[in-house]
Amino acid sequence: MRRLHPFTLLTLAVVLPALAWILPAPWGGAGTLITAMALLLTPGASPGFGAARTAVITAAPFWFFLYLLHGVGGMVSTGLRLSTMIASFVWLVAILPPARLVEAMVAAGWPVSAAFLFSATLQAVPALRERAQRLVDAQRCRGLATRGGPLVRLRALRALALPLVLSALHDVDERTLALETRGLVAGARRTALAPPADHRGEQALRWLLVLSCAVLLVWRVA
Amino acid sequence: MTAPLTLRAVTYHYPASTTPALRDVSLEVRRGEVLAVIGNVGAGASTLLLVAGDLAPRVTGGELSGTVERSGRAALLLPTPWTQISGMAFTVFDEVAFGPANLGWPRERIATSVERALTRVDVTHLRDRDPTTLSGGELQRVILAGILAMDPDVLLLDEPTAELDPLAARRTWDLIRALARDGMAVVVATSDLDALPDAADRVAWLEQGALRALGATREVLVDAALAAESAPGSTSIAAVWRSARLPEPPPLTVSQAVERLR
Repeated sequence: MRRLHPFTLLTLAVVLPALAWILPAPWGGAGTLITAMALLLTPGASPGFGAARTAVITAAPFWFFLYLLHGVGGMVSTGLRLSTMIASFVWLVAILPPARLVEAMVAAGWPVSAAFLFSATLQAVPALRERAQRLVDAQRCRGLATRGGPLVRLRALRALALPLVLSALHDVDERTLALETRGLVAGARRTALAPPADHRGEQALRWLLVLSCAVLLVWRVA
Repeated sequence: MTAPLTLRAVTYHYPASTTPALRDVSLEVRRGEVLAVIGNVGAGASTLLLVAGDLAPRVTGGELSGTVERSGRAALLLPTPWTQISGMAFTVFDEVAFGPANLGWPRERIATSVERALTRVDVTHLRDRDPTTLSGGELQRVILAGILAMDPDVLLLDEPTAELDPLAARRTWDLIRALARDGMAVVVATSDLDALPDAADRVAWLEQGALRALGATREVLVDAALAAESAPGSTSIAAVWRSARLPEPPPLTVSQAVERLR
């Protein structure tokens, strides 16, 4: 499964939730959720039990609030669909290294700026988390209480958010210069360093999945 | 032979600034030489590199008068490594390959160039690491490798040793010398004046954006004006020598001082 082309994995992760909403509830949602969970749990091909647990923990609150708002029927029909979305997304994130997707985008001729936007966003998350931790440490040294009740935490959040945002904005200028000097300019024809193999069979499968969605959508609307 | 970088009467204003960051600066950088740019904070050393690297005013905005002539590719290393991560690489190898890939080089040429740069900067052991997990010093060397992999004709370095420990800093200065020996033109803005007697061929001293002195390293660094309170100072050895009121001109390095005291 991990050897599939990134676009095939991406298509699967998009088509499953789409089918969950297109097909009649609750059986459509149940089928797509079973498929998504099977992808998460298939031995040797899936990311494993940790990712499945993440999907279940993420989906659980939605089921609770759906029950409060819509009762058992609404909870089941909508919960299955939302859970398919969550399970598909978690599966994709767990199985597809961003570097492979970026390479696939570059090899497919996507603009460098689009590939950059995608991968830089993913890389920004750990960098911002690390910077936030440094700010927390620094503010604690200066006497800021960051633990306690909600009001204390809210006050701490205000003292942390401003320097975090300002420092991130300050970096933008320097980052622009660094990217420019390393050749990342609009219209650049970037070389894909390790383009993933894209077999005809997989290309056909992707088109088939998308067309199936379109046909089912027309059938449901008609 | 044409100098790879020539500035003639360059004056530059940042956007919305009435005070010029550079005033009437003229200089030439030749192949195979290291030109060090020194000055107090705000003197214009970093701005000079931006202008030389075709980033000011093209990217930064502002107004430039005078002429800047470049032959070949110029590449700039900034002082903060974290802001220079490409954001598109998940291993050090790919990080170093980022620039060459953007230039559209064939994969074989990129691989050769990256391997050579990794070896040259002595970071081959980091090649499979995630760049976001590196220390500041490691990352700075990786970014330098990324710049070198682009095979620039003019290398512009802004405080290249700021994040490095003394040993890594010394190796970086040795590398800079070696790059110049190979024919590259190197301009380095630095406050590490102790390294300059061995590393730089010439020194440009900037004061409030204007060129206060430009000449051979020894000639500029022994200038008494450089040791004035508002000036950047000279090397540590020169400062000690002058504090002891020993005869002028002061030595610039330990070995020169030992030689003089014998």
